[in-house]
Amino acid sequence: MNCTHWEERIALYAGGDLPAAEAAEVERHLGDCPGCQLFASGLKESLQLLQGIHQDPIALAHFAAVRARVMAELEGSLQPWWRKAWMYGLAVAVAAALFLMLALRPAAPVHPKRMAVQVLLPQVDVAPPEPVVPRVIKAHGVRRPRVRPPAVVPRAPGPPIVVKLLTDDPDVVIYWITDNSGE
Amino acid sequence: MKVLAFLATIPIEGPDERAAAIPSAQAGDLAAFEALMRRHERLVLVTALRLVGNMADAQDVSQEVFLRLYRNLDKVEEARNLPGWLYRVTVNASHDVLRKRPAADPMEYAAHVPASGLDPQQSTAEAERRRVLEMSLRLLSEKERAALVLRDLEGLSTEEVARVLGSSEATVRSQISKARVKVKGFVERYFRRRT
Repeated sequence: MNCTHWEERIALYAGGDLPAAEAAEVERHLGDCPGCQLFASGLKESLQLLQGIHQDPIALAHFAAVRARVMAELEGSLQPWWRKAWMYGLAVAVAAALFLMLALRPAAPVHPKRMAVQVLLPQVDVAPPEPVVPRVIKAHGVRRPRVRPPAVVPRAPGPPIVVKLLTDDPDVVIYWITDNSGE
Repeated sequence: MKVLAFLATIPIEGPDERAAAIPSAQAGDLAAFEALMRRHERLVLVTALRLVGNMADAQDVSQEVFLRLYRNLDKVEEARNLPGWLYRVTVNASHDVLRKRPAADPMEYAAHVPASGLDPQQSTAEAERRRVLEMSLRLLSEKERAALVLRDLEGLSTEEVARVLGSSEATVRSQISKARVKVKGFVERYFRRRT
């Protein structure tokens, strides 16, 4: 017997979803049809299996986790605006204070190292200056003798000049030595 | 003794206290809202778990549902209307999650149900039963699954399911009968293959 058209009604009957009149009709059919009886018992068994599994307990931690997430969200959103503003204000004030401290910090004075300079000149015999001869202005018409400039004689290089620079650090002494050739 | 100690920790609430929780929560009392949440958390989390198929998504759905409840407390006029409202929002939020999820994402809620106190053989049998539930629900369309979960697993009447899903009773009956036939076919095939 082809009972495909009974399937929907039997499926509803198995779950108790048919009005009494329709349910009675299905029961009459089931009494006559072993195939549909098997179909109906299979439906009831699978439904009972699903319902049994659905009743399995779920760990309480899963519920607690949801509760905690919801409460955290609500507590965060219910925080009064002035408390949030206070926190933001404090953060901005701290940042501004740090910025000002860095920007307005006086530059550290740079103290140059003090150095004492001591020139160590060699002992040189200095010739006495030549006496200045007063120029005699002669009368007009008198030939004036031409005075030749003295020839430049290369001077023999003198002893080197030594400049001793004394720093604050007693262990550091700088010597600057230069020759006396004038070059 | 352990049972007595456990029972002692359960807050005993009468109908008056239940009814008072909503106005208190509406007035901004977070403790009252938490009590309201405790009362309905199983409804929301388990329904979401059956619909989305894994605990992580079910927890996301539950969080969303309770946040929506808090925002819409003024719309819940009476405590007795609350379960229907929660079912409707849970179904909608679950469908949102399913639509965002890639199609190939496996449903793996079976691993989250504890099977403590069972020997390894029993644990395997329990895990297999849960796998059957998981896979048979996966066979169904979104609407068939919602109808079956609400009617056969949560025990709502056809009229209540129709109200929650916003459909006619005739449509819901059709969805339920198709879903039951599909599940039966799957369960029989599954166990026939196993034996």
